[in-house]
Amino acid sequence: MDTSKPPAAATAPPGAGQPSTDERVWKAGRLEPMPIRKLPDAPPSVHLLGPTVFLVALGVGMGESYMWPRLVLLFGPEIRWLFLIGVTLQAVVMLEMARYAMATGESIFTGAARVFKPLMWFFFAVAVLVYIWPGHLSAGAAAFEEITGIPWTVTAVAGLILVGVVFSLAKVIYNVLENVLSLLIGTLVLGTAVVAAMVGSWGDVVDTITGMFAFGYLPPEAMSAAWFPVIVGACAFAGPSGMQQMWYTLHLRDSGAGMGVHIPRIRGLRHAGEEEAMPSRGFMFDTDDPAEMAKWKGWRRWVTFDALLLFWGVTMLVTISFTVIAQAAVRQNPAVREVIRNEDREVALTAMADAVSSAGSSVLGVIFLGFIALIGLNATLGLFDSFSRGQADMTYNFVPGAKKLKMSHLYAAFLWGVIVFGILILLFGPADGPSGILDTLAFLSTFAMGAYCVTLLLVNNRMLPKPIRPRWWTNVIIGAGAVFYLGMLLYSLFAYGVVVG
Amino acid sequence: MTARHRLELALPGASIGAGAGAMAGGLTLLAGQPTGVAGLSALALAVPLALFGGMYGMLLGRGVFRPGAFGPVGLYWMAAFPMSRLAQELLTGQGPADGVPAFLAYQAMVALGFAIGFVWLHERLMPRWLIRRATANPPAAALLETYVRHARR
Repeated sequence: MDTSKPPAAATAPPGAGQPSTDERVWKAGRLEPMPIRKLPDAPPSVHLLGPTVFLVALGVGMGESYMWPRLVLLFGPEIRWLFLIGVTLQAVVMLEMARYAMATGESIFTGAARVFKPLMWFFFAVAVLVYIWPGHLSAGAAAFEEITGIPWTVTAVAGLILVGVVFSLAKVIYNVLENVLSLLIGTLVLGTAVVAAMVGSWGDVVDTITGMFAFGYLPPEAMSAAWFPVIVGACAFAGPSGMQQMWYTLHLRDSGAGMGVHIPRIRGLRHAGEEEAMPSRGFMFDTDDPAEMAKWKGWRRWVTFDALLLFWGVTMLVTISFTVIAQAAVRQNPAVREVIRNEDREVALTAMADAVSSAGSSVLGVIFLGFIALIGLNATLGLFDSFSRGQADMTYNFVPGAKKLKMSHLYAAFLWGVIVFGILILLFGPADGPSGILDTLAFLSTFAMGAYCVTLLLVNNRMLPKPIRPRWWTNVIIGAGAVFYLGMLLYSLFAYGVVVG
Repeated sequence: MTARHRLELALPGASIGAGAGAMAGGLTLLAGQPTGVAGLSALALAVPLALFGGMYGMLLGRGVFRPGAFGPVGLYWMAAFPMSRLAQELLTGQGPADGVPAFLAYQAMVALGFAIGFVWLHERLMPRWLIRRATANPPAAALLETYVRHARR
């Protein structure tokens, strides 16, 4: 394997998107070498629009709005040190996912296949097992039912069909989704900030923030079979969970970041005929050229801004706001604490909304539930697109004969497949998945996070040219991430016999 | 630049500020309070946020802010948001319960989050608005050109 030498000459035949005989290429793994192309200029590092909106939409979910506020109410603000570690780790993971995607225009799935193809098929199988169940729709749709009285299954089914139609009619799916999610996330961020400003106090926010630095704090009750798995689950849900970070590489590519600019974009089914031929591999830039390396540094600055301010900042802001709201709710009605401890998610969210209502007005409770519904909508839009994008990418590149179809066709097939399956399950089956495999699904979701940390280490350190490989300290952090996720998961399994709460 | 041209640049920011303010104002409705009091509460926040939001658009047109740059906008709202909230608290006759310094410090902290949401929405709405107004409004055309240059970099 030639992964550390300068770009070498190859003898691939010329053709559409194929390197010519004397073209310089970068050999990475056993797959087709990547032709050398120009890296585009990086946009200004200080910007606000970009693919991070997908990661925020997927990442700001139940972990931020429910799981962590709940843990704070039960164990005190000091428990948030685990959240700080979880989100900071995810920000570093995001930067490393971006490293491979921006350098090659390939998804991390292709990177995994370059290392060891079965590794990629593992992620393909995990995605199918974990993400075809429409359970993630229930919290948002249930909150909508609280506001409007419309049964949640009706909202969920209508939402599924709407998502399918919109994505099928879109000319370029990425553009539509980025616009919609930006408006939704902007409204969510603006709204949570305003609600927190109205109901919270200096004391609440000081408690919440200082709690993030109580490293090592774990009350005896937390180290029990009842609560440790819940804490493991909350750590996995701090920021993007499961495979969401891996999907981010696909959005980054479609946004045209780095070498992604050389890859055509996925179109909606209605405009599939306009899609350009998708190359069977990515591209590499000349890492020996100082001018190209200067552009690369610009791209790294660009994505670092995304990771720190947008991803880390927005995730922190929303969680702090929801925690402050939950603290205010308990101040108004101490009974909420017991409800949150004992009842299921929907009941607890309703209790929080009721308490928030009594703190201000009924409008406040409705707005709280509105935010939960909004978070559910963001997650649904993001998840359906991401799942279809990821599966289509792997199928197109690695299933024999799949290239006879366009990427847009495969995307539409996975999208409508998961929608139809979701509707059938919502109407006739268990939304979260069969009860007998729930533990397995929860295990797989968290296990995938540890697994992608290991994958990242392998891909970035073996498949990229030396000048753009990660620094040693980044590798240490990603390695610690693998230990963090897999260690907590396995400790929970062997010490308490429970997977994830 | 005529007053109308300037006001047109202010419209997106003013709308976002007014929307956020109206929502926040709605939150202060106390159960059983007369509608007039509730309306005053909403207005007391919507008006200053709309003014500051509009002013941001005008300053953007004058080149004081760069499109999409967060740092300066964060500082801007760290001053503007607490002032707006304090005005609301004073106008509605409640006053900050924890004292003014703690109140302002808390609001300034929340303002950073408000600023992210504001710029995020503003960056989505402003270019579309400028495309609509560019032919009849020279400052809007100039600002649109700045956005286009910014996007091309």
